[in-house]
Amino acid sequence: MMDTNAALADWLDKGGRQIGQITIAKSADGWELRHIDDVGREDLCLYTITADARQLANLDDAGAYRALKTAPNLRHGWRLVLPDVATVHSALDAFYPAMIGVQLARERGELTPVNLRDTLARQTGMYRVTQKLTDEQAQSLIADSCRCDGGCLKIILWRISEELPVNSLPAEKFTVRGQNEWPLLCHEACNILVAGARKVVKGEPKEG
Amino acid sequence: MFSKPDSALVIVGHGSTLNPDSSGPTWGHADAIAQLGAFGEVHCAFWKEEPSLRQVLHCVNKREIYVVPNFISEGYFTQTVIPRELGLDGPQTNVAGRTVKYCAPVGSHERMTDLLLKRAAAVAPGVSPKETSLFIVGHGTGLNDNSAVAAKREVERIRALGIFGEVIAAYMEEAPFIAKWDELSTQPNVVVVPFFIADGLHSYEDIPVLLGIASTSPGAASATGAGVFAQNPYRLRGRTLFYANSIGTEEGFAEVILDQVAAFDAAAA
Repeated sequence: MMDTNAALADWLDKGGRQIGQITIAKSADGWELRHIDDVGREDLCLYTITADARQLANLDDAGAYRALKTAPNLRHGWRLVLPDVATVHSALDAFYPAMIGVQLARERGELTPVNLRDTLARQTGMYRVTQKLTDEQAQSLIADSCRCDGGCLKIILWRISEELPVNSLPAEKFTVRGQNEWPLLCHEACNILVAGARKVVKGEPKEG
Repeated sequence: MFSKPDSALVIVGHGSTLNPDSSGPTWGHADAIAQLGAFGEVHCAFWKEEPSLRQVLHCVNKREIYVVPNFISEGYFTQTVIPRELGLDGPQTNVAGRTVKYCAPVGSHERMTDLLLKRAAAVAPGVSPKETSLFIVGHGTGLNDNSAVAAKREVERIRALGIFGEVIAAYMEEAPFIAKWDELSTQPNVVVVPFFIADGLHSYEDIPVLLGIASTSPGAASATGAGVFAQNPYRLRGRTLFYANSIGTEEGFAEVILDQVAAFDAAAA
């Protein structure tokens, strides 16, 4: 049986301090999480329970819904102080759902990236039409939806197809950074990208 | 209350990319079950949010995993999408060394009837049921879903109890249309319970507009829509109308989720 708390504790012991837009620091009361842009700020709102993380993660600075939690629009102005690694794990699961488990699966060699064509081939119902997405449309859609500046912070592990890599984003989009940063990994196109593919194929506007 | 410390529970919801409240009830039920300590782990997964169905099994430490769909009815999502995305091929599947036990959706549990009665009583306190028309409102379209069938089934069960003056199934997008509630009902009091898993665009806006208790306000699929429940009762078309939250926000859903796990075990025994 896995113990994801122990794995997270090990990473923190070795100096792990960043996940996405969150920085983690040891504090007198345990661990403190805050937005990486808020390091040094003294005027932050204090939160102390993991349930707060879900609320903090749900809306951006303007109060808009963050359907994609790995979008680079985490709200500012808070700090979350938690007593132990288990509660830090719960909070990180709220801020960045599944990202602890997915990375640990990768470390165990159990994470299998799924290429976009396979993801689209599996779709049924209203999303079956996404199988008509052309390679050019896929490259453009991915460049627009998955870019780190405004789209998604995850590192892409999949290709469009076995023969065709994603070549419409810079190399860092596909590269896991240093040990001190917990990687946000995308091993398969998300439903938001699949829904975006449907709009492209049907010629619908991006928003709405 | 059973205890499964060596098993994990995964509650599957639809989720939304537009409505911040869509996944709230599913998380709430998960939190309630986690507090009970009934399972070693409790997780949620969603079709439209994260953790996704393709991610969630990577988050589970336990080798035995019960999956309960937090859906109103058997249909496209419970029969096609969830099994496909989780890689299930039957009630019990070995997925990468885990045993995944796929339970029935909450909405098909017989306790749903009690929850609908509880919700109807709570929204219209002190109102005589015999002088009340109770509407159970489903979506009702060609979504390859059986939500209309589920709503009809609940209406028949409640009607058989003889508590309410009348009990009526109505729909947003197929006849009988909820927009004609005043023509469909005869009692002076009208209680409307949306048969949905979460509050959102349908319960905040679409149904209120069809009922005539709200005007169209595009983009109001947010917590601001919750105000529609605070203004009960509504007096219009010569009746007194009480409008309830979606049934899926009822706290008793957590127990129904546990019941569906117990039902799986009973069927497998």
